[in-house]
Amino acid sequence: MSFVQNFPFFSIIIAMFSGIVSSVLDGKKARNLSLGMIAVTTALSAGTLIFCLGTGESYTFMMGHFPAPWGNEIRAGILEGVTAVFFGVVMFLAVIGGLKHTAEDVEEKKLNLFYIMIDLMLSSLLALVYTNDLFTAYVFVEINTIAGCGLIMIRQKGRSMSAAIRYMIMSQLGSGLFLIGLSLLYDVTGHLLMSPAKESVNMLVAAGSYRIPMLVIMAVIGVGLAIKSGLYPFHYWIPDTYGYATPTASAVLSGLVSKGYIFLLIKIFYRVLGYENLVSSQMANVLYVFGITGMVMGSVHAIYETDTRRMTAYSSVAQIGYIFMGIGLGTSHGMVAAIFHIFTHSATKALLFISAVGLYEVSGDKKDYISLRGAGYRNPLAGIGFTVGALSMVGFPMLSGFISKLLFATSALESPHKMLPTLIVLAVSTTLNAVYFLRLVITLYSRRRPGDAPVPETAPRGSWQLKLAILCFIGVNLVLGLASQPIVRAITDGLAVFG
Amino acid sequence: MSEIILALPVFFPILSGVAMLLRGLGKEEWSRKRELFIESLVTANSLLVAMAIAGGVDGDRRLVLFRLYSELTIMFKLDRMGSVFAGLVAFLWPLATLYAFEYMKHEERKSTFFAFYTITYGITMGIALAGNLVTLYLFYEMLTLVTLPLVLFPLTTEAVRAGRTYLYYSIGGAAFAFVGLVFVLGFSAVGTTEFVAGGMLNLVRAGERKDILLIAYVLAFFGFGVKAALFPCYRWLPKAAVAPTPVTALLHAVAVVKSGAFAILRLTYFSFGTQFLRGTWAQWVVMAAALVTIGFGSTMAVKEVHWKRRLAYSTVSNLSYILFGATLMTPFGLAAALSHLVIHAFMKICAFFCAGAVMHQSGKTYIYELDGMGKKMPITFGCLLVSSLSLMGIPLFAGFISKWNLAQAAFDSNASLAYTGVVVILYSALMTGIYMMTVMVRAYFPSLGGLMVEAAENAGGPHRDQTEAESPGSSAEKKPRARKGKKAAHKVTDPSWKMTVPLVIFAAAILLIGLHPAPLMRLLTMIGGEAG
Amino acid sequence: MEGNMMLLFPVVCPIAAGIGVLAGKVFRKNRKYLVGLSAAVLVLELVLTVGALLSGGSSLTMLRVTEQITLELGADEVGRLFAALTAAVWLLVGIYSVAYMSHEEEEHRFFGYYLIVVGVLMGLNFSANLITLYVFYELMTLTSLPLVLHERSREAVRAGLKYLFYSVAGAFLALFGIFFLAGVSTSLTFTPGGVLSDGALAGKEGLLLVSAFCMVVGFGTKAGMFPLHGWLPTAHPVAPASASAVLSGLITKAGVLAIIRVVYYIIGPDRLRGTWVQDAWICLTLLTVFMGSMLAYKEPVMKKRLAYSTVSQVSYVLFGLSLLNQTAFVGALSHVVFHSVIKHALFLTAGAIIVTTGWTRVDQMRGLGKVMPKTLVCYTIAALALVGIPPASGFVSKWYLALGALSSGAGVWSWVGPAVLLVSALLTAGYLLPLTIRGFFPGHDFKGEEIQKRNLAGKEPSLWMLAPIGILAGAALLFGCFPEGLISMLRSIAAVVL
Repeated sequence: MSFVQNFPFFSIIIAMFSGIVSSVLDGKKARNLSLGMIAVTTALSAGTLIFCLGTGESYTFMMGHFPAPWGNEIRAGILEGVTAVFFGVVMFLAVIGGLKHTAEDVEEKKLNLFYIMIDLMLSSLLALVYTNDLFTAYVFVEINTIAGCGLIMIRQKGRSMSAAIRYMIMSQLGSGLFLIGLSLLYDVTGHLLMSPAKESVNMLVAAGSYRIPMLVIMAVIGVGLAIKSGLYPFHYWIPDTYGYATPTASAVLSGLVSKGYIFLLIKIFYRVLGYENLVSSQMANVLYVFGITGMVMGSVHAIYETDTRRMTAYSSVAQIGYIFMGIGLGTSHGMVAAIFHIFTHSATKALLFISAVGLYEVSGDKKDYISLRGAGYRNPLAGIGFTVGALSMVGFPMLSGFISKLLFATSALESPHKMLPTLIVLAVSTTLNAVYFLRLVITLYSRRRPGDAPVPETAPRGSWQLKLAILCFIGVNLVLGLASQPIVRAITDGLAVFG
Repeated sequence: MSEIILALPVFFPILSGVAMLLRGLGKEEWSRKRELFIESLVTANSLLVAMAIAGGVDGDRRLVLFRLYSELTIMFKLDRMGSVFAGLVAFLWPLATLYAFEYMKHEERKSTFFAFYTITYGITMGIALAGNLVTLYLFYEMLTLVTLPLVLFPLTTEAVRAGRTYLYYSIGGAAFAFVGLVFVLGFSAVGTTEFVAGGMLNLVRAGERKDILLIAYVLAFFGFGVKAALFPCYRWLPKAAVAPTPVTALLHAVAVVKSGAFAILRLTYFSFGTQFLRGTWAQWVVMAAALVTIGFGSTMAVKEVHWKRRLAYSTVSNLSYILFGATLMTPFGLAAALSHLVIHAFMKICAFFCAGAVMHQSGKTYIYELDGMGKKMPITFGCLLVSSLSLMGIPLFAGFISKWNLAQAAFDSNASLAYTGVVVILYSALMTGIYMMTVMVRAYFPSLGGLMVEAAENAGGPHRDQTEAESPGSSAEKKPRARKGKKAAHKVTDPSWKMTVPLVIFAAAILLIGLHPAPLMRLLTMIGGEAG
Repeated sequence: MEGNMMLLFPVVCPIAAGIGVLAGKVFRKNRKYLVGLSAAVLVLELVLTVGALLSGGSSLTMLRVTEQITLELGADEVGRLFAALTAAVWLLVGIYSVAYMSHEEEEHRFFGYYLIVVGVLMGLNFSANLITLYVFYELMTLTSLPLVLHERSREAVRAGLKYLFYSVAGAFLALFGIFFLAGVSTSLTFTPGGVLSDGALAGKEGLLLVSAFCMVVGFGTKAGMFPLHGWLPTAHPVAPASASAVLSGLITKAGVLAIIRVVYYIIGPDRLRGTWVQDAWICLTLLTVFMGSMLAYKEPVMKKRLAYSTVSQVSYVLFGLSLLNQTAFVGALSHVVFHSVIKHALFLTAGAIIVTTGWTRVDQMRGLGKVMPKTLVCYTIAALALVGIPPASGFVSKWYLALGALSSGAGVWSWVGPAVLLVSALLTAGYLLPLTIRGFFPGHDFKGEEIQKRNLAGKEPSLWMLAPIGILAGAALLFGCFPEGLISMLRSIAAVVL
């Protein structure tokens, strides 16, 4: 066993420990530690990824070297590596981009708490990515929830309190359902480690016994995680939480947290319940229907929003719909598309949130359409960033969104009955995306009218960190759009050794 | 990369435009030097196009730029059909730019305007030279984006609204066109979306899913049809008439809208292939849509009293002539469609430029204000007369040639819906006669009562203010109106040579094509023969 | 440009002269130059036309736009008839206009377009194929439009637009047929008996009939045939009298010529005989004949009355054509000549009355005989000719029409037709003759106060105006007395085409 194989475990532990250490540091140091930690873990994940790409296989890492069923396993492969690296990058940029606002929004003496939450968040995300143990997964789901709550709450302004509580309740509901599912699964199979659990699941399915409990397990786990990731119609907590948190938190929550749950869901489908079983039990079709409904309804809601941040949040609902639609297609290509869209959406949505910050800064921190009129001239880079993000969401070629759309569409061609609905809904959803995103883009570049609220004369032109973050996110988007092939190949290979 | 000449006409203007945009930000001095620079830049690009075309148009010259995603390459290819469109655009662009200098003389933010104007040239070339559906799609989307600032240019509420509508429609259309793209990719016989004359579907595989593919075709047809202002997605075009006239004329009568029609031709004849489509329900659906648009557009034009919007509705109707030709799905249908594509470009740009010249010189934007203008602006209205007669389809003018071709192609196709199409075209021609000739009669034979009103108006005073308040135009229209105060003092005359020269050239081109269409038709028939 | 150049001159000369008149400033300022040039060109036109008619039958290819679209001139029998008629009448009306138009403004525009129209009309008459015909047909609409618009009153502009739209609508209806025929014919050159190819036509017979009907109705627009007759009573009266005269007398005949060309020279009468197209066509013409007379009878304004009369009379011609037999064809063509001559005389009279007295309504014209007896005599002769009282000319044509109808074998139409013609003739008498009667015999209670007050008694129009009226009226009478030459010529034409 090579040393590199320890990296996943290290990265989780480092993240966790920086959180713990941060509790005794002051805000600034905690921040620096946090940034350093994110960089290190990302590097570690990259190491893992390179290793896995070299071997082309995934490996299991037993924590404490206890064998199953007592041990606690980590499993790392190409797919996990890619995801972890990606999560790290997005997290880093989101934190960088929101630095200034975090400092403003969060009380001085609570600043370190914020970074604790960030650390814990990353650690839990990494754990969700790497874990091969259902119970560990549950534990980190809870940690994730708590960290998320903290991130929302810490702003202590306006509706962020109620948003946090709503988030808490919905998340707990999801977690509870997930836990019930796990218990049932444990009842039925007697395993909590994924690989042995899958073996017994397969045996059960082959034997035809426990059909209804199995169905219930699938439904409960699926719904539980769907609530947590904000699938329509379980999305009610999303607009508030994303809308009222501090920018970094919004970017992280929308870009990463929900994706972590989706990744976990995919993992459970592949490693425990069996994707074939999912398809044959019609569960995939259910997810598909929820997905396409979400694609349309999320956008429809977004159109009616005048607060641009809530609008962006609703757009996330639609995008989550895309991902579930991909999962629900029931083909491996669909799954590839869904995972690629996880990346696309993380990068794009984080870009949108961060650029929006730059635009709010120059518009007196107002977030409605009218105040943003002409903001694209006042902060050109943020304007460009938002435009790029919006175009990517609309599926403009050469940006990441186009590739996702293309992957979804081509994979839809494989399933005869879902072919046409998928494509039509894709088109409709694209159009709706255009309606609200590009309406905002036009507003950004239209001339202010006499009645508009005054703009602060000495509007801050955005910190260099913000600019850096925007530029990097644009870069990530372009990379995903122009050089997608290696990534897609990595996902495909990773998925092949995932189960 | 030996065929780099194919990429030059696309990227040269785009890069120059971007450079102008970056340099021009914040600086607003404008000089003859810069006009000269832009004009020579555009002309140089047209020469590049000419060089590219001169190098041969057999369709085996291709240039792969890069790979977007596995089978999706961005590539250019020069075939005959592409060269027709490219040549047309390259011919019109320098002239339109010349006109635009004069028209935009009094506007602010000219650098921005001309930067985007120039970028659009490159993007349009990209559409003309696109070698596969993906490249076409890419430039199609980009075209929407770069022309958006041009529509938004007046930055008034109305312009913003028009821009929004334009954007929603175009992006939405592209989204549906994307469906077609995916299906073409999925069922392609060659594994890519590269254009092949006559279509490139794997007919065996496609036959198994025929109906779904046809649905995809129809969706894509309507998707691309948005830019070609197909009913019911036409609404953006008349609204976009708030843009400055060079934009309305060149983009919304030629470059943008023809790109939509061109894309449909590519989709029909070079991707799906007529062999697959001919005689299916999809053909009748799209043909019916084109016919409805023809009738509807020209009827609306008659009802419209705002001159530029009337012309825009006329464009709506005329674009569907092209689509009607395309939906005949015969070799000659393609030739007829292309002939109307070329000829309509000249006619409509000429008409729009006349409207713009009148707006520029006198600030008049409504038809009922045009009494007696024919005598005051003889060159402008002379050209407009040529263009009107041609639009009507009076023989010896170019418009007759394309109508003739369309009708012959329709009768050749032996389909009863196509026969109906001829009737619809003639109905539309009648409507064209009505909406163009009322303008001409007003201009040349103002009824005596009308003249008196105008005299009172010229005398100034409260009457004029009242009319201004009554006719709420956009401020793009109001700006020249505001200048009218000065203008009314001295007589309205023909505009300067920068405007009249393009006009006269276009009118001459209409006459030339009308009298001697043989070379053009030979080329177009050859294209039809290859692809039909 | 190869072939008989003589055919080109009557077309090009007046057009060039007309453009010169419109463009040259000197003609705007100096009336003498204007009138002198116009008259000279009209005389020259007559000479050139005669020259062209005598130059033999070869044709002239003007322009080859594409394989199918060629402009070709030629002079066959029918074309010659129309050309001679046009040149002669145009000259007479031109002479009349010299005096008449001195009362109007912007004479140079009138004469300019007047000259252009005759060139275009000559082109139409000499057209050797359907495309050429269509080209000149459209040009004729456009160039005659300024004549209608001449007064530039709101009414005139409205009437002008109405004229334009009806004409264009008709032309496009016809164009549908042309589009179709181009595909199923061997060539579009006029050939007696038709040029359609049976092979290409197979399976499209129904469409052929539809096209034929479209073309008849479409070209019938110019001839004022129901249902597209609405423009005629509006447009003709608002023009200056000399323009109304040529519009009514000659330009309506262009529609007739076009129908002759299509039915007898492109499609071929045999393909239409006995079809629904023939029935519908006959029905439409008879309807128009009756309706036109009826409306004329009820119309008080003289020029409008004459316009309605034109609607009715031109449909006599069309009725003759629709019967598709030789006798009726002779009747139709002779009625073309006679109606043209008569209607010119009538319209010119109306113009003379307006110029001299300013009266426009017939009920104002009591005692007209006291004002302009000579003019009224000419009018009466022409009116009697139109009613069809022997030996005046109208009788001859109606005789042949009736004979043709009775021998046509077209079922019920063979006797309904003559009956309608008879009723219409009665109505014609009813709307034309009251002017004569009231004019010469105003009654006992008529004191002629207005005539005395304005000193109108015995105030004939000038000789420039009176002479053309007299010549035309005389011609109307003489053609009736000595019709043999004309009729035998028409018979020979009929024998060729039928």
